[in-house]
Amino acid sequence: MNSLWRIFWLELTSLVRSWTVLMLLAASLAWMFAMPRLVTGDGTAEGFRELFVSYGLGGVFTLLVIAILASATGSIASEREAKRLQLTEVRPVSAFAIAWGRMLALAAVAAFVLAFPCAVLVCSQEYRGIKCSHVFRPQLESPEEEAAKMYDAFMADPDTSPAIKRARKSTILRILAQRAKDHYQTVHTNSVASWNFPGFAEWAKANPSVEPSMRLRFATDFSQHSDVRGSVSASGFLGTVSNVTQTAVVIPMRREALASGGTGAATTNAAADVVSFANTGGNAVMLRPRQDVELLIPADAFAWNVLRSYVVMVAVLMLVAAVGVFLGAGLSRPVALFVAFVLLIVSEMSPSVIDQYPDQLESDTVDRIGLAMTRAVGRMSKPVSELSPISPLADNDCVEARDAAWAFAVDFCALPVAFALLSAFLLRRKQE
Amino acid sequence: MDDAVIRLEKASKTFRDFWLRPTVEAVSELDLEVRRGEVFGLLGPNGSGKSTTIKMILGLLSPSAGKVSLFGLPPQAKAARARLGYLPELSYLHPFLTPRETLMYYAGLSNLPRAVARERTAQLLEMVKLDNVATRPVGGFSKGMARRVALASALIGKPELLVLDEPTSGLDPVSTKEVKTLVKALAQKGMTILTTSHLLADSQDICDRVMILNHGKSVAEGKVSELGESLEEFFLAKVGSGDEFALADFLA
Repeated sequence: MNSLWRIFWLELTSLVRSWTVLMLLAASLAWMFAMPRLVTGDGTAEGFRELFVSYGLGGVFTLLVIAILASATGSIASEREAKRLQLTEVRPVSAFAIAWGRMLALAAVAAFVLAFPCAVLVCSQEYRGIKCSHVFRPQLESPEEEAAKMYDAFMADPDTSPAIKRARKSTILRILAQRAKDHYQTVHTNSVASWNFPGFAEWAKANPSVEPSMRLRFATDFSQHSDVRGSVSASGFLGTVSNVTQTAVVIPMRREALASGGTGAATTNAAADVVSFANTGGNAVMLRPRQDVELLIPADAFAWNVLRSYVVMVAVLMLVAAVGVFLGAGLSRPVALFVAFVLLIVSEMSPSVIDQYPDQLESDTVDRIGLAMTRAVGRMSKPVSELSPISPLADNDCVEARDAAWAFAVDFCALPVAFALLSAFLLRRKQE
Repeated sequence: MDDAVIRLEKASKTFRDFWLRPTVEAVSELDLEVRRGEVFGLLGPNGSGKSTTIKMILGLLSPSAGKVSLFGLPPQAKAARARLGYLPELSYLHPFLTPRETLMYYAGLSNLPRAVARERTAQLLEMVKLDNVATRPVGGFSKGMARRVALASALIGKPELLVLDEPTSGLDPVSTKEVKTLVKALAQKGMTILTTSHLLADSQDICDRVMILNHGKSVAEGKVSELGESLEEFFLAKVGSGDEFALADFLA
């Protein structure tokens, strides 16, 4: 423990005395204070908060990812190249402590620097009394289940081309799953679409003073800016949608609206867990039930949400540090730096590459290899990319406590420990 | 009780390339024993295998064949490393740390309690005459001052065995004499010392026994007093005269 603390202290001292911490802190605060002057938003407080979180905190987080990755790759590699590492290695200290102590120090720096922008964010927004919301999506079969059904139907259909029938099942299933995810539901004029939210009615009974909202993201037939009218109803609540000219709309639902009989064409679903949208406008509307329909339940204060987001971001930065230290343990500093940034760029790009490049392109061998590699990096970097809290925080969606705990357990503890063990193995091998 | 602090039995080290093909046999079937309280000199020309031997003793390299033990334990064992102090050929200090912080850092790695570490740091800084610059970063130190910090770092963990790789390398005559005096004083207190040096006169002054290495093999071993009047003459007789360069032809 003593030696771990000493290595942690050495790395921390190195980062402080090389001005790294001060420069990061100055850059972060400068960005947080300059950003509101550069980007003014859409004129509403809500729009400004969204931009402030996305670009302000998002910018600082990106800066920290790059800085921590660069520092981490050099942490062990430069020590080894300067031959200082051997002086530590001949002491009674484990190679695991050498790697783990450095990762913790880098995470501590990240946590320290990130605390300031988060504090700025809370101080500038909390007085508005904003509350974040728990987000629930309708219960639907998974895209994979839907894809499997579609696949069976395709195969049974005599009109399906022989080429598709001959193709690899996993490839077809992947295309169909993507199609299921993006599947649009059309709600025609004077018709109703319903979705099931299990447990909603029970929740409504247990919380008589809390009123939920619905968030719908519309795409009309020809333009995303067409007027949309209608109503949403759910388990004794009713909300009205009118004159919507935005793609995404949050519709507050009121209990008293039910008592007065409501104004929409939708029937209220007082006992069931069903939420319905009735289209009373002149245009048919389209939305993707898996992505565009969300039930919002008010939760706790903005500051708590920032705190949970902070935990997730620190956990992700710890994982970034762990990857950097691991690469630095096995490679020379410039090579480790290059590999680290290639991995970072590919992991950031992989979701859009996978989404946008259809499998038809896989006819070429090079494309096939490229897509397979991109998919592999995308899959490996999922813990980092999927848990980014910036987007939910900007939308005022709750970063759930269980997600923060999961991020801490996996990204801060389990994966970095695994990387520290691998680094220790590499450190011992590297001596040979 | 086994009196050997360091023991190498038929130890060999072969370096291999990426494809695991042997490239260099740096040390070949070396037998070496350093006994408790002894000052042992490992001598040899450049490329003779001194550094590789020291790295195997320190546990920084594993032998390809044979056995290396330190205090009867594998060199990588924490119990063995806790009893070891090492001064490398160059000082390799953290430039942003002060001498006091450097010593406290290595004391922490050697698991010394904080109070003991503080006391020992003060003693060692006084001993190497750096107590007046104890709070200045070592990055701005001269080579001699940095060497003294490195020597104090090697001694911070109260080692029973001190491994000195070219301890007087780059030092002026006054500092060289100080280091030699210190090594003698430590030896008198019963510390086991293994040293390498190119300066044969230095080895003659401080070593009880020496081993001369050439091409990774021991070519001579014995007490300094038994190797004749001049260690240099004996050394040159064993590893070559040093007249290989045909300088006259080149200049003609």
